[in-house]
Amino acid sequence: MIKEQYNYSEFVATPNEFLEFAEHAPRATMRAPSFPLEDLATGGTVEMKDLWKTGITVIEFGSFT
Amino acid sequence: MDRLADQFANRAVRSVFIYTREAHPGENYRHHQSMDDKRRNAHAFREHSNVRRQILLDDLDGAAHRAFGQLPNMTWIMGRGGLIHYKSSWTSAADVANALEGVLDFQANRAKNQWALFYSERSAWSARNKDRFDEGLVRAGPQAVADYERMLKSAVFSRSAPSPEIGPRVPGNFYKTEEESGKK
Repeated sequence: MIKEQYNYSEFVATPNEFLEFAEHAPRATMRAPSFPLEDLATGGTVEMKDLWKTGITVIEFGSFT
Repeated sequence: MDRLADQFANRAVRSVFIYTREAHPGENYRHHQSMDDKRRNAHAFREHSNVRRQILLDDLDGAAHRAFGQLPNMTWIMGRGGLIHYKSSWTSAADVANALEGVLDFQANRAKNQWALFYSERSAWSARNKDRFDEGLVRAGPQAVADYERMLKSAVFSRSAPSPEIGPRVPGNFYKTEEESGKK
């Protein structure tokens, strides 16, 4: 998916996205994938796997809008 | 969710917020064309919503967001080593708190080697706060309001309850009546 598609300029809901989440996103009891993220406060890189290296981590995804 | 993060912080639970694409872009908070756009909107979000949790930005392609299912406001709980304990299509602080208690219980008893982990699914629910949601659309701008109204009018996203036993049909509620499923 190219970044222009991902960052759509106009909200158009896709009917199957929730079913995709239920059926194809990683499931409970699997190992979570890890990606590098940018810390908003410091600008530094944070690897997701470092978040859960030492304990339980709650991750909420979202945006202002 | 920040209150919940505070509540569980002293039980060794870390809480973060991953900033994704704009779900309902509008004239005031547009879609991201650069990481600077994303940073700007994330700063505005933190200030407006008084977010105290660590905010982490996904890349401009949404690599992490897409890998975890790409929904606008999902929550996940990972145990040590990245074991997925919980995934939810929407975020409900009450439901997350309930799940966390179970995860903490498991972590505490796992050491005794008497508990075995297995996969399970269940439904969850949250209070509907349409006024707050509408406020968010207005804040984003007139386009965000218009885009959402257009979506509501489409037959695919009908909000009518499919049966008296099932609440309003929101995305993430997959129930179909026998008739809708083509069974008589």
